[in-house]
Amino acid sequence: MKCAVGGPHLRAFGRAIHAIARISDEFWLDPIEKGSVLPIFRCLNTLERNVEKCNIYTNVNNCHVIFQLFCKHGVIKTHNLTFQECDPLQAVFAKHMCPNILKVQSRLLADIMIHFPTCQEEVTLAITPVKVCFKSYTEEERDFSKAMHTEIQLHPEEFDYFQVGVDSEVTFCLKELRGLLAFAEATTAPVSIHFDVSGKPVAFSIEDMMVEATFVLATLADIEHGISRQSPCLSQRQKRSTLPKAFADKTENVPNSSADKNSNSERISSKKLCWNRSMCNYAESSVELPKLPSRREAAGDSTMVEAVVPTDSDHHKFHSLFFGAVSLNDPDVNSHTFHSLATASDTEEDFDNRQLSPVIQ
Amino acid sequence: MRFRAKILDVACLNHFTRVINTIAKLAKTCTLRLTPGKLYFILTDKVANGGVSMWCELSQGNFFDEFQMEGVAAEHNEIYLELMPENLSRALKTAQNAKTVKIKLTNKHCPCLTVAVELPSLASSSRIVTHDIPVAVIPRRLWNDFKEPSVPDFDVSIYLPVLKTMKSVVERMKNLSNSIVIEANLNGEMNLKIETDLVSVTTHFKDLGNPPWVLDGDSQNSTQDRDPETMAEARVDIKKLQQLLAGQQVNPTKALCNIVSKRIVHFILLHEDVYLQYFIPALA
Repeated sequence: MKCAVGGPHLRAFGRAIHAIARISDEFWLDPIEKGSVLPIFRCLNTLERNVEKCNIYTNVNNCHVIFQLFCKHGVIKTHNLTFQECDPLQAVFAKHMCPNILKVQSRLLADIMIHFPTCQEEVTLAITPVKVCFKSYTEEERDFSKAMHTEIQLHPEEFDYFQVGVDSEVTFCLKELRGLLAFAEATTAPVSIHFDVSGKPVAFSIEDMMVEATFVLATLADIEHGISRQSPCLSQRQKRSTLPKAFADKTENVPNSSADKNSNSERISSKKLCWNRSMCNYAESSVELPKLPSRREAAGDSTMVEAVVPTDSDHHKFHSLFFGAVSLNDPDVNSHTFHSLATASDTEEDFDNRQLSPVIQ
Repeated sequence: MRFRAKILDVACLNHFTRVINTIAKLAKTCTLRLTPGKLYFILTDKVANGGVSMWCELSQGNFFDEFQMEGVAAEHNEIYLELMPENLSRALKTAQNAKTVKIKLTNKHCPCLTVAVELPSLASSSRIVTHDIPVAVIPRRLWNDFKEPSVPDFDVSIYLPVLKTMKSVVERMKNLSNSIVIEANLNGEMNLKIETDLVSVTTHFKDLGNPPWVLDGDSQNSTQDRDPETMAEARVDIKKLQQLLAGQQVNPTKALCNIVSKRIVHFILLHEDVYLQYFIPALA
C-alpha cells in the first residue's frame, strides 16, 4: 500500500483519526497497536501549518507502515509503526431500508448533546410523527435516585429532513458518538441518522466532497422482544494481541470492497468490537462458523473466535459494534495504485487463495 | 407540598446561575430551604464537611418573576430539600440564552427538582430541555438542625482585601502548604502566613478597615478594650479557604471576616442581594 495525502486534506485525515481514536484502540488502516497512530496527528493546528504532504506506505517484510510527513523548510518526519495483518470485517447495514431518517446540521446536533453531562454514557433517541426527543438513559435502579435525568424535545421542523416510518426509541452509546460529532462540526456537513426499532442498529453518517463517514452503532434491544438472532455477539479475548475474526454464516462478496486494484479510493476502516459491561454469558452451544485460514500473525496466537448467540435473558442486551469508513477520494493522485484494504496483500501467492472480506450480518 | 418558580429575565438568570455556581464550589451536598420570600442554601458543620458550615440567603423577588410555594403545613410554610448543587449548576449552565426557565418540585421516580428550559429554536415552537434533579425531602423534625448560625463572639473583625488578590495569593500558597494562618488586628492589618520545613511565606495587607459592629453588652467591651495592634489568628485548612475564594465570581459589595482566636474564622460576603456566611474551623 502506498498513498499520499496532500496538505489541505491532512486536517480532515487527522480529524478522522481523532474521531476514530475516540472509539477504538486499534485502527484498521493496517491494524496498528493502541496509541501509535494518534500521536502523529495529535496536534492538528501544527499539522495544518507545517506539513505540506503526507506519504503513507507499507513495508511488508518487516511489518511496518510508514507515515512520512513532509514539512516546511525541508524537514521530513518519518514515523515507523508496526502492524499486524488480519482479516478485515465490514458491517453490512442497509441504510436505505431504515424507516426512520433524520438529517440535521451538525451544529444543531452539537447544541443538543451539550445539555448532557460529558460523563453521560447512553442516550435514547425517541421519535414520533410530532416530535423527536433525546433523553439520558440510566441503566440500573439504584442510579435513578441519584442521577440527573435530562431530556430534550425538538419539533420535526428543526430537521432538514424528517421521516418517521415507525415510532421507536433507540438507545445507544453517546460517548463514542462524540467522536463523530466533533468530526462533523469541523466539516460543517449535515449529519444523517438512519434507524429502526430498538435492537436494530442506528447509523450516523456525514458526506461531503472529500469525506464520507459512517458510524454504525448497536442499540439496546428490548427485553420483551427476546434476543435477536440476527445480531450475533462477538467476543473479544482478554489479551487483544490481534483483532478477533468473526464470520457470518455465509461469506459473500461484499459489493464495493472487491479487489479492485484500479480503484482510486482508499478505504480506511476502523472497527472495535466491544462488550458493554456485564452483558453476555456465552452459550454452551455456540454457532460454529467457517474459519478462514489465518494469515501471518505476529503474535502467533490463535485468534479464532466463535460467534455465539447469548442465552442470558434476564437483562437488556447491549451490543456495541462500530464500523467507520472514511474514504478519501483524491482524483489527482492517479499515479498510485491503491489496493482496497479489505483484501490487502502484497505477495502474488496470496492472490491465488484470495478470500474476499467476510461479512457479518 | 408544592413549589413552582419561573425566571424570565436573562440578567436574573445569569445572576442566579452565578450564585448556584458559587454554592456548588462550596458544597457537594447541601440543604435548600424554601420560604415564601426567600431561598436559603445551608450546609451544617458536620464532620463530613470538615467542620465548615455555610448559610446563603437570597430574596426570591430579585430573581424570579413567579414564585409560588406551599409548605408541609399551613403553620410551617416552608420546604427543606437536600440536593447536589452541582446538578443545578449543570442544568443552568446551558440555559443562559433561554426564553424562560421554570423550576418546580415534582415526583417522578423520586422527588425531583425539575428545571425546564425553553430555548429559542429554528422552528415555530421552542426547544424544551428538561432536567430532573433528584432531591430528598427533609422531614420537619430535623428542621432544627438548619437554624441560622449566630455571629460568633469574635476577637477581631476586619474587611477583606480585594478578593481577586487574596485568591491568587492563597492559590499559590496552596501549592506549598496544607494549612494557612489568617491573622488580623483592629488596625486594619491582615496577614496570611504559611510555614513549612522549607519555606515560610507571609503576605501583608494594610489599611483594610474594621467594620463597626453594634453589639450589646459585654461583647462590645471586649473588642473595645483590645489592643489594636494585637493579632487574632487561626490556622485553617487552606483548601477550604481557596474553595471559598474560587467560588466568588464577582467582587462582592461587602466582604469581611471575624476571627475567634484559634477557634474559627467566620466570613460574611454580601453581593447585591445575596448574603453568604461561611465558617471555617481552626485546625488543632
